Amino acid sequence: MSDTYAVNLDDVSKSFGAFKALNGVTLRVRQGEIYGLLGPNGAGKTTLIRLICGLLEAQAGKVTVLGQKMPNVSVLRHIGYMTQQAALYPAISVEENVSFFAAINGAEEGVREALELVQLWDRRGSVVATLSGGMRQRCSLACALVHKPELLLLDEPTVGIDPQLRVQFWDYFRRLAAAGTTLVVSSHVMDEADRCQRLGLIQYGRLLAEGSPADIRAQGGSRNLEDAFLALAGSKGS
Amino acid sequence: MSGHRVRAITRRLLQGFRRDRRTLALLFVAPIVILGLLGYLMRGSTSAPSVGIVNEDTGPLGAAVADSLRHSTRITTSDVSAADADARLRDGSLVAYIRFPPDFTQQSQGGNVAPEVHLEGSQPGEDTPVIQALQQSMISLASQVTGRTVRFAPRIEYLYGGSSYDTLDYFGAAFVGLIVFFLVFVITIVSFLNERSQGTLERLMASPLRRGEIVLGYMLGFTVLALVQAVEVLVFALAVLKIQNHGSVFLIFGMEALMAIAAVNLGIFLSMFARSEFQAVQFIPLVIVPQFLLSGIIFPVSSEPKALQYVSDVLPLTYAVNGMRDIMVKGADLGSPGLQLDAAVVAAFAILLIAAGSATLRRRLA
Ligand SMILES: Nc1ncnc2c1ncn2[C@@H]1O[C@H](COP(=O)(O)OP(=O)(O)O)[C@@H](O)[C@H]1O
Ligand SMILES: [Mg+2]
Repeated sequence: MSDTYAVNLDDVSKSFGAFKALNGVTLRVRQGEIYGLLGPNGAGKTTLIRLICGLLEAQAGKVTVLGQKMPNVSVLRHIGYMTQQAALYPAISVEENVSFFAAINGAEEGVREALELVQLWDRRGSVVATLSGGMRQRCSLACALVHKPELLLLDEPTVGIDPQLRVQFWDYFRRLAAAGTTLVVSSHVMDEADRCQRLGLIQYGRLLAEGSPADIRAQGGSRNLEDAFLALAGSKGS
Repeated sequence: MSGHRVRAITRRLLQGFRRDRRTLALLFVAPIVILGLLGYLMRGSTSAPSVGIVNEDTGPLGAAVADSLRHSTRITTSDVSAADADARLRDGSLVAYIRFPPDFTQQSQGGNVAPEVHLEGSQPGEDTPVIQALQQSMISLASQVTGRTVRFAPRIEYLYGGSSYDTLDYFGAAFVGLIVFFLVFVITIVSFLNERSQGTLERLMASPLRRGEIVLGYMLGFTVLALVQAVEVLVFALAVLKIQNHGSVFLIFGMEALMAIAAVNLGIFLSMFARSEFQAVQFIPLVIVPQFLLSGIIFPVSSEPKALQYVSDVLPLTYAVNGMRDIMVKGADLGSPGLQLDAAVVAAFAILLIAAGSATLRRRLA
């Protein structure tokens, strides 16, 4: 049963010292869907993503990814992770960056396809330090998906980019999902939520609600997702 | 010019330091550590070098001078036979030996004394106390024995190095290795820290890469750089500066490579304990300078205060410096036990750091 889920978190808690960053989170991401992880800054989205790819270990609960209990090195080959800041090597070119991440995942052949997807093939020779913020973000995405992972974890990929590029990004995401990739996309912007198949609302390290955008609206009793979120946060947060 | 704006900058700067306790501590601790160490090295109860005495004099003067030397505070003496003396010099248990020839007393009656001083000679500065002690003992005694003023003209012979060596020949040998060690260390610690602060290390950690692979990859990359640098330094030292070399160029290169590998891994390891490039650079006065002072490059280890000798004996740079001098000044080859030990210690240190670097990599991702 659990292996129809790409990601399965069971009552997971994670503390940093005395601070509880995640508190009994249970959520499931289905294979091939775009799952939106929504919550304000400091809610615990990055911590949750780090738990999914095994960078952090939960103190309580169980994290299962692609059928394997995390942390597990053998699963990492099938995961792509785009960190919150565009983590790239500034002194080398776009293509050299993508080739590097391809090589450490044993997928050298995917470089061109990844660069074409994010429309950086023409700029492949440019040194990363000279790129605009949006191009860096695209390059970072290319690095995360160059090895065609089954599960793509994107930590606030659309923060700080212009509306045009945001539309483009969602277009990439839909194409990836259509090709069978599971995507977990975190965001603190509610207007992105409608583009996801299912959502997890998270605040203060707790999962407030989970379901399709329509489910969330119904649960929050509002046609507007933002209002629904506030209603749900109000009822559970106190 | 606005005093207000200038003050704003000054205040902001000091505010940063107030929070960065480590930098503050370093600012006030490092000078004391370094100066204290230097003071102890130069003024501490420096241990007296071991000097052998070979007395073959048939007259009374040799025995009298030997007796006076035994009471000298500058050197520690022991009686050795003429047959053993050279071997003892070679194995390092003696820094020098003094030989009074059979006609020594007779010579003094002629107004000239020429005791033989045999010096090991591979380290500068070790011969000064020997010659001073001898001179002191000679002058007064010779005139007592002969009743007239006597000219002191020791015959000095060097096992290694010698009068054809200048300061650069001695220091150059060790510096050739140290330059590479130091620069490679700085480059590694800063680039590994960049990996951390620009977030790429987090990406690497979420990839199938293993910790050992990261450390080894870094090591190879920087070692290649270091070796190119080593060749350049070596060619410049030998061809342009004409530093004397009695050993194999390939051995020097091999020793430099070992030092470079150790430096890379020291850099990776220490980068775990720094949060900024600023903090990384602070390791130089704390880790590099004391090692440098204690490595024997300037002050021979044998003349350090006893307590510091123990410290020197566990610092890898001491062995590296010693190894370089063994090769370049003494012309040691791989069959030499001294060089084998030096190379083994530097290599063991490198391996230890590879393990330590890999083990600490998980910690402090962000
Ligand atoms: N390594 C850490 N040490 C201490 N606290 C942390 C650490 N990582 C995250 N936190 C804290 O956990 C909370 C959740 O952080 P994070 O997961 O980054 O939130 P988000 O990504 O939703 O903005 C924050 O309050 C943050 O300060
Ligand atoms: Mg975050």
